Amino acid sequence: MNNYVCFVRLNKCFFFTLLYTCKTIWGNKVAHREVLGKKPLQVLERIRENLERLNEKMEVMIELQKHGRKDVQPLPEAPLDVMTLLSMPDHLRKTAMAVCRLGRATADEIAQQTHRARAVESAYLNQLMIMGHLKKERKGRKAYFYVDRESQE
Amino acid sequence: MVLGKIIALHSYKGGTGKTLLSINLAATLVKRGKNVCLLDLDFRAPSLSTILKIEKAESWLNDYLNGTCEIDKVLIDLNSGIQNKGKLFVGLANPATEAIRDISAKDRKWEMRALGRLLTLRNSLLNDKSFDFLIFDTSPGLQYSSINAVVSADLVIVVTTFDRSDVEGTKRMLRELYDLFEKKTEIVLNKALYDISPKSGKDEVQTRIKGTYQAPLLGIIPCFCDVSKAEGNTIFVQERPEHLFTKILDEIANKIDKP
Repeated sequence: MNNYVCFVRLNKCFFFTLLYTCKTIWGNKVAHREVLGKKPLQVLERIRENLERLNEKMEVMIELQKHGRKDVQPLPEAPLDVMTLLSMPDHLRKTAMAVCRLGRATADEIAQQTHRARAVESAYLNQLMIMGHLKKERKGRKAYFYVDRESQE
Repeated sequence: MVLGKIIALHSYKGGTGKTLLSINLAATLVKRGKNVCLLDLDFRAPSLSTILKIEKAESWLNDYLNGTCEIDKVLIDLNSGIQNKGKLFVGLANPATEAIRDISAKDRKWEMRALGRLLTLRNSLLNDKSFDFLIFDTSPGLQYSSINAVVSADLVIVVTTFDRSDVEGTKRMLRELYDLFEKKTEIVLNKALYDISPKSGKDEVQTRIKGTYQAPLLGIIPCFCDVSKAEGNTIFVQERPEHLFTKILDEIANKIDKP
């Protein structure tokens, strides 16, 4: 598990160094050149998106391992009502409450509310998703977490 | 800087005076020029409709939480014939026995959706309708509807008395409910029995309350026979502007709505 995490983080570091170097050295003129039919910056952006998704999948896998589960399907019946909130550990309740207040939010937005690191919030949000309390929806590069109040009829 | 725009009045035990304080606090804030929306979230024992002598409403708060109407349909304008600087609207809980039975049988999923609808009131009433304050009158104790109200509020006013079981229950709720939700809480001691003439009597009660609850004290309201005699038939602060009860409510409103 730790090897996976190190792998993802090293990849991220490598990528951002690469992105910075490309932007600095190549400049705008070079950026217009096409590599395999695409502009270099677009390729790099694509790589970054993929790395971010990979990172999120790793966080989910870590949470699944913690719960001794192999499937990514969240629990079907886990309404996030006040009694559930009360019975949660403090660190998760703080995250869940922030989602309740915001309605729909990214890990970044939650981190701003809770004054904790984005990576920490991302891990807690994924944990709440696996527990079946939150749903996740991806729009472009951003992953939004929300309480699905309406579909749980 | 206000203490909170959404205020829930809550208590451990029933009969502490939450409803009386809710309506009189709302009226006091209205006198100060604020637009206030008072919502009866005590679905087990609705009483605002009786105090305000409103027998029928277009829609009840029960309907709003059921998702069958919007909040606009629930709110009743109480400003006709009253000269106030601000405006007072109320949303009532349905007092019919069938409605009380129906809401008592709701499951966790319904309560979760009800919480969602309460949380959206911040946008629909404070932001869109420009209310200055929302006041929630709640059921006592740890009931779904009251915890939903506590979670949705910015400030919880805990109404307590010197009754021993109420004191112990309130202490537990401070630790095991409000603290867990990181809620701002203020204590109001109601129906206090002490000699109000010498200042030392009040000081002693203040020290005792602060020591007991380790929480900020918003106000002490002595047990007034005049208030009891009114039997919940009037909005006391409007009827008796010179009464000490009215003055204490004014002080409380002043602390909430700090200039």
